[in-house]
Amino acid sequence: MKSYVAQRLAVALLTLLGMSVVIFVLLRLAPGDIVDILFSAAGFVDPKDKQAILHDLGMDRPYWVQYLDWIRGILSGDLGKSYRYELPTWQLIRPLLPVTLELAALAIVIAVLLGVPTGVISAIRQDSGLDYVLRVLSLAGLSMPSFWLAMVIILGLVAYFDWIPPMTYVSPSQNLRLHALQFLLPALAVGYRSSALIMRITRSALLEVLREDYIRTARAKGQTPQMVVWRHALSNAMLPVVTVIGIEFAFMIGGLVVTETVFNLPGVARFLVQAIQWRDYPMVQNLVMFISIVVILSNLAVDLVYGLLDPRVRYGD
Amino acid sequence: MISAPRLTLLAGAVLALTVLLGVAEPAGAAKAGGVLTLTQREDLPQGFAIHETATISGVWPAMPCFNNLVLFDPLKPMESADTVIGELAEKWSWQDGYRNLVFFLRKDVKWHDGTPFTSKDVKYTFDMLREGPDAPQKLRINPRKDWYSNVEAVEAADPYTVVFRLKRPQPSLLLMLASGYTPVYAAHIPPASYRTGCIGTGPFKLKEWRKGEFVEYVRNPDYFVKGRPYLDGLKYIVITEPGTRIAALQTGQVEVSFPNEVSKTNAEQLRAANPKLVITPYSINTNDNIVMNMKKPPFDNPKMRLAVSHAIDRRALVQAVHQGGAVVGASLAPKPYGAWGLLEPDLASLPGYGKPSDEKNKARKLLAEVGYSPQSPLRIEMVTRNIAVYVTMASFVVNELKQIGIEATLKQIETAQWHPMGTRGEFQIAANLTGIGPDDPDANFFENFSCGSPRNYSFYCSEQVMTQIQQQSQELDPKKRLAMVQAIQRKLEEDAPRPILDWRLDYFTVWPYVKNFIPHQSMYNFGRAQEVWLDK
Repeated sequence: MKSYVAQRLAVALLTLLGMSVVIFVLLRLAPGDIVDILFSAAGFVDPKDKQAILHDLGMDRPYWVQYLDWIRGILSGDLGKSYRYELPTWQLIRPLLPVTLELAALAIVIAVLLGVPTGVISAIRQDSGLDYVLRVLSLAGLSMPSFWLAMVIILGLVAYFDWIPPMTYVSPSQNLRLHALQFLLPALAVGYRSSALIMRITRSALLEVLREDYIRTARAKGQTPQMVVWRHALSNAMLPVVTVIGIEFAFMIGGLVVTETVFNLPGVARFLVQAIQWRDYPMVQNLVMFISIVVILSNLAVDLVYGLLDPRVRYGD
Repeated sequence: MISAPRLTLLAGAVLALTVLLGVAEPAGAAKAGGVLTLTQREDLPQGFAIHETATISGVWPAMPCFNNLVLFDPLKPMESADTVIGELAEKWSWQDGYRNLVFFLRKDVKWHDGTPFTSKDVKYTFDMLREGPDAPQKLRINPRKDWYSNVEAVEAADPYTVVFRLKRPQPSLLLMLASGYTPVYAAHIPPASYRTGCIGTGPFKLKEWRKGEFVEYVRNPDYFVKGRPYLDGLKYIVITEPGTRIAALQTGQVEVSFPNEVSKTNAEQLRAANPKLVITPYSINTNDNIVMNMKKPPFDNPKMRLAVSHAIDRRALVQAVHQGGAVVGASLAPKPYGAWGLLEPDLASLPGYGKPSDEKNKARKLLAEVGYSPQSPLRIEMVTRNIAVYVTMASFVVNELKQIGIEATLKQIETAQWHPMGTRGEFQIAANLTGIGPDDPDANFFENFSCGSPRNYSFYCSEQVMTQIQQQSQELDPKKRLAMVQAIQRKLEEDAPRPILDWRLDYFTVWPYVKNFIPHQSMYNFGRAQEVWLDK
């Protein structure tokens, strides 16, 4: 197992290196730069001043020099300074992480708590009225963009309760109740959509497993239906579900931009989009690398969970 | 029967009168205390460096930290030379036929770090702004350098006296100094530091700027105006989603709207949802306009430009795009929203303001003279910024042009490319918005229409108009100056480098217990919050 994990981490490093080149190049391909944005805020562009600012920021150096500088900085723990805020990027990124991680974690928990049981029920009661209702609900969840749902929640709260969640981050120590409300509502908006996907995957995986010979054998041996499903079938059906959970969690880290924007949560995704709009290269590069690390680690965690779920899966042998 | 334009003017006058009469609470009734919550549509673009920005997002949340030499009276919505009051200057005096402007400074002012304020700070600031040869520092970006092109020298005669020596008389200088865009920086602090923090002399001290989230101020206990500010603090919350901003305002999470935020439709929605809200229509000194590149065909041809101007039905645009929340006018805002603009009778004779069918016929005739018609249309590309307020206006214009034989495809340009494209002249025609600091001819004409100005995106350069601009700038008789300014506006509409379509109105919204937050006819000048108090 240890050698498997080490191998995966080594591959991860190569993947990150490749990602760094991709991020670096793509950013420079986008037209305009931070200096153009700065002048936009001033309403004009002065070519002489522009050149001076580019020089101050080191952006007039050859691209390969800028790239190596960035990589060297990462390896030495220096993530560089934000072009826009002129502060160390780590100082800006650090407060964003708990917000996005908490939102993603809550959303995944809601998704699993809603999706897995409803998927099981739907599979067990295949083609029943309940199955149809649950499938319609899941289709609704898949069809509704989570940002639209977020807007509807906000509008509904305003219209019926004359209230919306706090617009600045409330930490648990400041006010646990408000903090919970602040995160629960966007987590519900995101989790509902993910739960729909998890429900569908759980249902189809379980249906397939329930058709296996060993399940028929278990029933023939007198096992209760609950035991057949929860003890024998589900652990095998969960493999694709775990994969989806891992993918969804990784997606949430960088993909919650509109939900974070609508609910005004100061998370990674919202900040990333603003950094892209500002061509704040150090911020974008480091944030995207962070998201890549989360995706890689999520995939690794999913693969390790396989080993727990399925004893036939062994790593490092 | 009263015509629609007259009715609009009458309604505007009534509203302006209502605002004027219903403005200030007597100082004795004001209560101290409380924190006012406001909102921002985006995080501060250049921190608190007001001198390096030209957007409301930069000046609105930074104004409370600073003082100017002079400011427009926050309690008077109509700005003029008569409403200029002293801040860092106790009194001032024009001398030598408006060639020298002498300020006598207050002696009891300290910077937020305790350093005393002196004339050295004023000289430092304005030498830097005009990029004088002896300027000790240079701004990274200096968008209003042209405002000070007439300042020959700034002298600190003694620690509490400053003299602005001008090359020629310029009464407008005082109004430009009273704009929210003209705070005084500290000489002992590098200008770059204002991009990350704020040491000012203002009524509020910066407490925290949490990037992307909020800016928070606390009351300056050592403020030189005793008893001010009334508030204990201010908090500007960054809410980037417009729907969420409106929801926050409606539910009271924010108590003041962001300038240029509440359209007429939003105002009606807010009024219906919460009749207690106080909503005041005012001009934000921002106009919709069409910029035509005179350096390249087809708009190097004056007939083409005039055809475009004739084609656009301004009044229909006001209804269709703004639902009535705008007024027509030329290059300066019309009364009652501005002091210099052309009135209806003057506008009627200008391109685009007559009967729509007649105007379109004139446009078609002009196009026919250069070889185009609806059957043989001119095909062009119109650019605009990829922001909703630009796109809706541009879409209307495209449709208007189609009716006279100009097929325009609309290309949306990202902000990062917009001004570089404009400065390089890489466009034919653009649908644009222009905001102007004070309602003043100098601030407008020199920035947007003078030869070689970086913001003269149409590359318009008329010696005759330049001479007129210089002449009006030096004219001391207000009536004569008004006549000269109005003549320039007529000429600009006739030359049509940048036809003005309308002047936008905003509907400034506050909760009823927020007192003395009075919108001015320019949104850039009333954000100091020194006189604001909460009646709760």
